[in-house]
Amino acid sequence: MANNKKYWSGLDELDGTEAFKEIQAKEFQEQIPVDQFLADERHSSTTTGRRDFLKFMGFSLTAATLAACETPVIKSIPYTNKPAEITPGVANYYASTYYDGMDYSNVLVKTREGRPIFIKGNSATGIGAGKVNSRVIGSVMSLYDKARLDGPTQNGNSTTWEDLDKAMSAAVSGAGRTVVLSNTIVSPSTVKAIKALGAEHVQYDAISYSALRVAQSEAFGVNAVPSYDFSKAEVIVSIAADFLNSWLSSTLYAPDYALLRGPERGKQSKHFQFESAMSMTGTNADVRTMIKPSEEGKVAAGLLAALKGATVSNLDAGVVKSINAAAKSLNSSKGKSLVVAGSNDLATQTIVAAINQQLGNYGSTIDLERPSMAYRGDDASVSDLVKDMNSGKISTLITYGCNPSYDLPNAAAFNTGLAKVKTSVCMNGVADETAKRSTFVAPDHHYLESWNDLSLSSGRIDLVQPTIEPIFNTRAAQESFLNWSSSENSDWYTFLRRQYNASYTSDAMYSDSGWNSAIHDGTMVGNDLPESPEYTSSIDTTQAERKVASVKGGAFELVTYVKATAGSGNHAANPILQETPDPVSKVTWDNYVTMSKSDMDAMGLNTYIAQEDLGSVVKVTVNGKSVELPAFMQPGQKPGTIGIALGYGRGAGGEKIGQAAFQTGEKGEHITQASGLPMPIGANAYPLTSTSDGNTIYAHYDVSIEATGREYPLACTQIHNTYMGRESVVKETSFDSYLSEAGKAKGEASWNKAHRLNVHEDTNHDGVIDARDKKNTNAFDLWHSHPVEEVGHRWGMTIDLTTCTGCSACVTACNIENNVSVVGKDEVLRHRDMHWIRIDRYYASDFSLEKGEEEGVGVIDSYGRMEDPSENPQTVHMPMMCQHCNHAPCETVCPVAATTHSNEGLNQMTYNRCIGTRYCANNCPYKVRRFNWFNYKGYKKFEHVNPAHDSLARLVLNPDVTVRARGVMEKCSMCVQRIQSGKLYAKKAGTPILDGQVKTACAESCPSNAIKFGDLNDNGSEVKTISENNRAYHALEEIGVKPNVFYMTKVRNS
Amino acid sequence: MNNRINRLQHVARAICTILVFQVFGLAAQGIWEGGDPANGQSLFNANCAACHKITDEILVGPGLAGIQDRWPSGDEMLVMWIQSPQEAAETGDKYIKSIVERYVGTYGWMTGQAVSEADISDILAYVTSPPIDGGGDTASSDNCPTIDYNTPEESDSSNAMWFLILLILFTVIALSAAGVKRSLTDVIAEKSGEDLLPDTGYLTRLGGWAWNNLVMVSLIGIFFVLYGVVVGYSALMDIGTYSNYSPEQPIAFNHSIHVCENEIDCKYCHNSAYDSKHAGIPSANVCMNCHKAIKKGKRTGTEEIEKIYAAIGFDATTGTYLDGDGNNGKALPQDSYNGEPIKWNKVHNLPDHVFFSHQQHVNVGGLQCQNCHGDVSTYSVGRIAPVEEINTLIDAYPGIIQLSKPTLTMGWCIECHNKAEIDLASSGYYEEMHDRLMNSERGNEELRRYLEDEKITVRELGGWECSKCHY
Repeated sequence: MANNKKYWSGLDELDGTEAFKEIQAKEFQEQIPVDQFLADERHSSTTTGRRDFLKFMGFSLTAATLAACETPVIKSIPYTNKPAEITPGVANYYASTYYDGMDYSNVLVKTREGRPIFIKGNSATGIGAGKVNSRVIGSVMSLYDKARLDGPTQNGNSTTWEDLDKAMSAAVSGAGRTVVLSNTIVSPSTVKAIKALGAEHVQYDAISYSALRVAQSEAFGVNAVPSYDFSKAEVIVSIAADFLNSWLSSTLYAPDYALLRGPERGKQSKHFQFESAMSMTGTNADVRTMIKPSEEGKVAAGLLAALKGATVSNLDAGVVKSINAAAKSLNSSKGKSLVVAGSNDLATQTIVAAINQQLGNYGSTIDLERPSMAYRGDDASVSDLVKDMNSGKISTLITYGCNPSYDLPNAAAFNTGLAKVKTSVCMNGVADETAKRSTFVAPDHHYLESWNDLSLSSGRIDLVQPTIEPIFNTRAAQESFLNWSSSENSDWYTFLRRQYNASYTSDAMYSDSGWNSAIHDGTMVGNDLPESPEYTSSIDTTQAERKVASVKGGAFELVTYVKATAGSGNHAANPILQETPDPVSKVTWDNYVTMSKSDMDAMGLNTYIAQEDLGSVVKVTVNGKSVELPAFMQPGQKPGTIGIALGYGRGAGGEKIGQAAFQTGEKGEHITQASGLPMPIGANAYPLTSTSDGNTIYAHYDVSIEATGREYPLACTQIHNTYMGRESVVKETSFDSYLSEAGKAKGEASWNKAHRLNVHEDTNHDGVIDARDKKNTNAFDLWHSHPVEEVGHRWGMTIDLTTCTGCSACVTACNIENNVSVVGKDEVLRHRDMHWIRIDRYYASDFSLEKGEEEGVGVIDSYGRMEDPSENPQTVHMPMMCQHCNHAPCETVCPVAATTHSNEGLNQMTYNRCIGTRYCANNCPYKVRRFNWFNYKGYKKFEHVNPAHDSLARLVLNPDVTVRARGVMEKCSMCVQRIQSGKLYAKKAGTPILDGQVKTACAESCPSNAIKFGDLNDNGSEVKTISENNRAYHALEEIGVKPNVFYMTKVRNS
Repeated sequence: MNNRINRLQHVARAICTILVFQVFGLAAQGIWEGGDPANGQSLFNANCAACHKITDEILVGPGLAGIQDRWPSGDEMLVMWIQSPQEAAETGDKYIKSIVERYVGTYGWMTGQAVSEADISDILAYVTSPPIDGGGDTASSDNCPTIDYNTPEESDSSNAMWFLILLILFTVIALSAAGVKRSLTDVIAEKSGEDLLPDTGYLTRLGGWAWNNLVMVSLIGIFFVLYGVVVGYSALMDIGTYSNYSPEQPIAFNHSIHVCENEIDCKYCHNSAYDSKHAGIPSANVCMNCHKAIKKGKRTGTEEIEKIYAAIGFDATTGTYLDGDGNNGKALPQDSYNGEPIKWNKVHNLPDHVFFSHQQHVNVGGLQCQNCHGDVSTYSVGRIAPVEEINTLIDAYPGIIQLSKPTLTMGWCIECHNKAEIDLASSGYYEEMHDRLMNSERGNEELRRYLEDEKITVRELGGWECSKCHY
């Protein structure tokens, strides 16, 4: 098998296209634009003569030389009054909680000298061991956004808090209706502070789940979104619910889901996914079935019918087959399963509730006794509010924690209504869409500057505590509510403390030990007020079934979805999140229309996207509203459907929401719209959503789509789609096949055979030397080995491809921990992204060599066809970073020994030695080395995208990691700064390093614990055990570079 | 003059006391008499000096000078007041009430002191008649030489400048002299009707001369080239070495006074050396631990210490701190006070790409500060001690590792890593490392290699690897 494999750089090489041959013959792939340069008028009209130029040069050189002789005097400024808890150079961690209306996470905030620099999960006391996702990790960047407002404003001009308070107190107590419009508030004290205003309170969620809530209310009498327990769900059926990425409180579900995925316990959960667009959850499904959004309800109804033993009609045969399989699995694990639906259609959710009730999941995997406090938004009330605003019935509107001018389905109507409201005040921290249209802006603190209490479910209160003094002249929103209220006169902190100790006074600020330990843990036990659901009530689904059966689909149907990085739109100006590739499409910095290959071919759109191959822009029209976006070929997209991500097109009216929120051109300048305003990234898809039965519907069943003929570059970090049968990169097997060989030793099982090479030696003792004489790769050594194994430490990593969901939290965490430069779209387009860790996403192909043989297709052509992913492919996510090879090919080619091996197994990169030959990058088989083409922290091209450009955002840089200069190579260091500090901690304590004491940023942030880090020389360590598991293998084992990173064969329960 | 009068008064008072003893006999002996001032001094320093001075200066509590004249409430009350202040206040004594009103609000209650009546008598003897020489200042300044490295030295560069100017002057003179000579020759030639000399430039003539003296010119040439190489090499080797660098500081802080005379441990002020990568420059509130009491320096008077007060907001006259609105009366430094921080000039500058940890070297490695910083007690401002100077400290500080490369260069670091030994039995961490070496074949082999020189050095455990310091 091994010797008939062939590798090439891409399809072009394989096909031997003319274009490729032409490129191959050239030294530089692109034309060097000499003519263009010389043709520039400015150069010929210059007045500087050649001799003058040389003089200037000489003078500058001398001046620079002389200036360099002087040693600059560096100031060192100690605290005048140093706080006792701060030791310069030592990090402090504070427990806090992240909640933005969507994601909820118990976090630990790492601060250095009083500034937060890293967010990680609070594994000690957090819900579900406190896991985080990309958005939560990246949230630290928004603290240092210089677009944040410095003080309150009135009609866009700055004002004082006193004037604002005077005006607002008058407005609130004056005649007319005062309404507070907010996202779902899960803070008990904030709710009380809003109550103190005496105003109406309307809540809505940017991504609404109101139908789910209403369905529970109708069926069981509890008007809330349930709490789901994925850790008990052996069978999961998801109908377009992206529960690993964005559906409800996905930060809590992903870790639980991963618990049942590892096959070592002899069982593996089975996950069915029915969806239109390829979601991150869909890429992890065991059985993924493509359906149209108009069929979601029918699938639910079909599943209910199948569970009862009826036959399912009115759907494609393939879908029916999956439904029957799902029903069989569900029936066999009643009470240990979960059926979830992403749709916000009441009929669908009612049927899903009935399914779960029939399966006995309520009370087991679904909890309505202690339901989720999140997503209590009421779409119907918001619609009423907008109507009232337009009819002039509202005199004062306070918007808090939401951006309705941007994310309401009827935002246009809201905006006209807002203009009719006499006094409007917005509490958002930046001058965003809503703030711009409000009379006053009363900027709220960033969550890292605030006090708050949050309760996601009954019986538990999580605390938010400030980790830095407010950077700008902002004020806690609750402080404003209390100030404007006529009935309350305490400040917010006192108000908050009095909720838990009625007799609290500022004298007792530090003496309440209960509070102190709650602040330390970030959580405390709250009032437990369980609901009493009637799980046994019968659910009448006939009407709902009739309704879903009547849904008619169109030629093209649209689904809108939420991306792992952009969220609902509040992370638009976050450069680190914008540059984190989407887990599925691998596109950065952009929004696009996902389409199936067949539809794109039919419309004549470009399906191949690369640096020079631009995407075709299409115009999508829904109910007379249209957006223009590039089309992106997405394997797994149901033909006849398109997908568009929400959360883009922020700042379309030139709102100053942060400079990373706008498109940048080739020179790093902001691209402008025709109106002269900066061009937003992508287009806003919220106007494409609609309202039905009082619920916001995120799909549309009849849209028209047309090609515009324009082209637009999309910056993807990965274009190649499959691994083309290269089984030494990705190893995967089915659960059944795994079980049949589960007992075999490492290297023996058919799904993870050790790589063997032919030798000229009679190894099988049959008397002849022939092709059957082989030895394992690790028997060969070109070099003397480093004294790594069994001596000192040997830092290693194991990555389980089975549990890795591709969520990219590790990528974001690594970027922030290691000061990885953000380079912007244009540079990503040139494949100059600097990420130390990437997640290679491979689609499976329908084709194989065996199939080619059967069909009589030649070997070369077979490989060509294996390059194409299936229409509905299986997917593998493979985190790839420096493998820290013990026989590293990069080390041997460095002319200046800038990259060397440590006796702890690390492949060290020494920036100050590197002269930038890039030989190492060329010689790296894993292509994980990154070159600093520019001075990203200073060069003008990056001023809008790289946070290190302004002195404020620079505060987020990790002081323990060098900021790399131009012209040097960099790559994953396995967070050597953490290893060193972990060793130092152990040396000071006088104990060996305990397993788990040192964690890399990626391992620490991995929600599914797929990435593990530790000492392979420590026999008791987890990584040591895993590396000896029979699923463990090295990527590209046959080249014999002996990495310290182990992958675990992916096992799919299909 | 005043001092002398004071002393005379003390002497007179002492004589009076003695006379009083004589007259009334021992029966009436109270706490004011008969104490042992020497014992009193040590008791005072141990129990009282943190808050009281023996002058009339207010530290935290009132200065005790003149207490014998102003204490109105009898011996018993004074003893009670010292031993148990709150109890004494409860008696309702008027004078004590006035003290409570004046001081307790700001500084809190005085701590009751575990001293007997006899002790109090000794202390009062010391307070009322302190030793004539003033005490305290006896620590011999002679043993603590202060080398002020900060005085601007007459630098070589100015000499070089003069040489250059002279050289140019001489060249100009020589050239003009040559010109004059040539003009004169021309005049003579013209007069005598000979042909004028061909109008050749200086360079041509110099070339002609050189052609005629090839050996000489070659020798001079070789000399200059060699000289250039030697000077150039040493100049290049000096790049990035900052031995003796001692920039002027915003406060004329004198290490010698603090370290040598007052015997303050390095890590009292640079305390984070034990738990952080930074040794740290002490924050002003650390200075205030002592300088709240010591308001006047021996050499610079109040001028330099005032700078600390300005930074942290301390009102020396009342002995209290200021708040943001400029009100004094606070016992502790106020965060609201917006003082200008002290901007020290950093002396030991490492490039940004070097990670150096003090705690690794001081706490784990047990290195002495002097090994890298020299004998700070002998000089005034912070400075980079040259390696030769550090090497001479071996007698005073045994265990210092002798090095040869310039201080604070990478050569110096790795030279030390190659020499410094690690005691594998020193902690559980190293024991584990030792076990791993002992328990495997490969480990044994490595250990044998390590022990070829009969010691295990930092280098052998990876101290020469790039990513130990560069990441």
